[in-house]
Amino acid sequence: MSDPMAHRIAAATPPALAHRIRGLSDRAIAWVFVAPTIFLLLAVNIFPLIWTIRLSLTDFRTNRPNNPVKFVGIENYRKILTDADTWLSLQATAHFLIWTIVLQVVIGFALAYLINKKFRGNDLWTTLIVLPMMLSPAVVGNFWTFLYQPQIGLFNYVIAFFTGADPSSFSMIGEVGLAPWAIVIVDTWMWTPFVMLICLAGLRSIPPSIYEAAECDRASKWRQFWTITIPMVLPFLMLAVLFRGIENFKMFDLVVQLTGGGPGATTQLVSIDLKREAFEKWRTGYASAYAVILFVTVFGLASIYVKALNKVKDR
Amino acid sequence: MAEVTLRTVSKSFGATKALVDVGLTVPDGAFVVLLGPTGAGKTTLLRMVSGLDRPDQGAVLIGGTSMQGLTPAQRNVAMVFQQYSLYPHLTVRENMEFPLKSPLLRTKPAEIARKVGEVAEILQISHKLDNKATALSGGEMQRVSIGRALVRNPAVYLMDEPLSSLDAKLRADLRVELKNIQANLGATFLYVTHDQIEAMTMATHVGVLDQGRLIQFGPPREIYENPVSLHAASRLGQPRINVLPADLFGPAPAKATHIGLRPEQIRQGAGQDAVVKRVEHLGDQTRLHLTFKSHDLITVTSAHTDLKRDDIVQITPHRPFYFDAEGTRIA
Repeated sequence: MSDPMAHRIAAATPPALAHRIRGLSDRAIAWVFVAPTIFLLLAVNIFPLIWTIRLSLTDFRTNRPNNPVKFVGIENYRKILTDADTWLSLQATAHFLIWTIVLQVVIGFALAYLINKKFRGNDLWTTLIVLPMMLSPAVVGNFWTFLYQPQIGLFNYVIAFFTGADPSSFSMIGEVGLAPWAIVIVDTWMWTPFVMLICLAGLRSIPPSIYEAAECDRASKWRQFWTITIPMVLPFLMLAVLFRGIENFKMFDLVVQLTGGGPGATTQLVSIDLKREAFEKWRTGYASAYAVILFVTVFGLASIYVKALNKVKDR
Repeated sequence: MAEVTLRTVSKSFGATKALVDVGLTVPDGAFVVLLGPTGAGKTTLLRMVSGLDRPDQGAVLIGGTSMQGLTPAQRNVAMVFQQYSLYPHLTVRENMEFPLKSPLLRTKPAEIARKVGEVAEILQISHKLDNKATALSGGEMQRVSIGRALVRNPAVYLMDEPLSSLDAKLRADLRVELKNIQANLGATFLYVTHDQIEAMTMATHVGVLDQGRLIQFGPPREIYENPVSLHAASRLGQPRINVLPADLFGPAPAKATHIGLRPEQIRQGAGQDAVVKRVEHLGDQTRLHLTFKSHDLITVTSAHTDLKRDDIVQITPHRPFYFDAEGTRIA
């Protein structure tokens, strides 16, 4: 304690406080510091999760808080998994998930590959391409309903222009066959730039000298692409798929705004189905079980996927 | 294997002149070492031959054929990069197999395995073949990079400071190995280095580059014994040539401003007095740091000398070099 600064701090600290702090062990002080975070985590994450699991085993309804709550065991889970509507929602979600990922990866990678070529104004192009991602999903959903409008919609007009069909002869969000594609198109339009940015980061991480070495090793551009570019961008690409996959599994806002789950239940993704059960039908217990099932599904899939991703990275 | 010719090759990067009118012929089967300080244009010259960069002017010929507009793949050159440039996602083995797996070559798998094993043995990296290329030390990466070139049978091997990251012992081993490979295969090598020992021990010809110009080209002994300029003289020789005012030892040729003395050009035991400042025993020889008329100079003497600090040694120049104000040799 020969440090004069330490003496001054000691002198300036009120004796009572100094005594109290001195009374705590390092471990206790560490707990004091992390306690607020742990409390917050328990309050907003862990407690609701446990509460949801508890509710999922009952027939509780939020709109009838005074009714007696009956413990029903796994009855809710059984009902959900045997309900044909659930499987329709899961099917719609799978269709949406698979096609958005395929399209976004292919188009996103292609765009990144092109943008990565040095050309004049590629910064401007990057900015323009990234714009859709920065808009609010509610806004995007709203104005795509206008674009899809059969009489005045630009989308129908463009399709009609190229195919010669009558623009008002089809409705993207009104027809059972087209609506699932309508939401795929909008999500792809909005989120391809995100995949592109991640791919671009991957492409930029490859040092140009590696291509020079490959050039000297007599590898054609085609071979360079498949043996250098693709393997080195793959971890980035897989990360983009993970992000988009988790996001689109929970997709709600954009689709509600566009189709509201219709026509029929063709675009009723699981999150929309869940919201109906919870806040329109008020079957809280049932909806809780539904939420738990979805949580386990997405958590399980993501875990398997992250394992695969790590394997690719360590290769 | 083939002869490589450069004809009045010039290259600029913006305002920087990397190469100016370089003309050079690497005979078939020769081991040509390019010497020069950083920024002299050594790497640029290699890149011109490889086809990674194109000359602004002049022509590159390999085997007598103009390489104008041809890609590195079409030129069939093997290059070792200074920064290694290994394929980071592949193992050492896959890195070394990469050029052999070119569809142009149609090498059989057994032949690839044999070749990779053989080269790995020479480079002392056999035990690392299944490691990832990024899980290696700098010296190991450099050897993999050399190996990736040696598995091939190109028109010319281009090597950019390939031994710079190795420790002294390994460097000495690989100097011998590379020289053996070159001699046995009759391969043509164009080799860039800072290290004059590499130049003296491996080269059949040395090219001295300075500020983008080729100032002397010839066998290493010729450059050592008969340098055209102060710059060329100072690239070779350990300890370095002593450069002193021309008239320090007595009358000098007209226009000479500097006298250049290699250690063996300083006769000891007769002449004028010099004071010993330092004695460095290196084992096989002893270096003497002398002060002569308030100028420092370094020479060598026998390994078992009894000289010590502040002793007096008589020295006299023996067939010295004289240089004019521009550094050009005049006698």
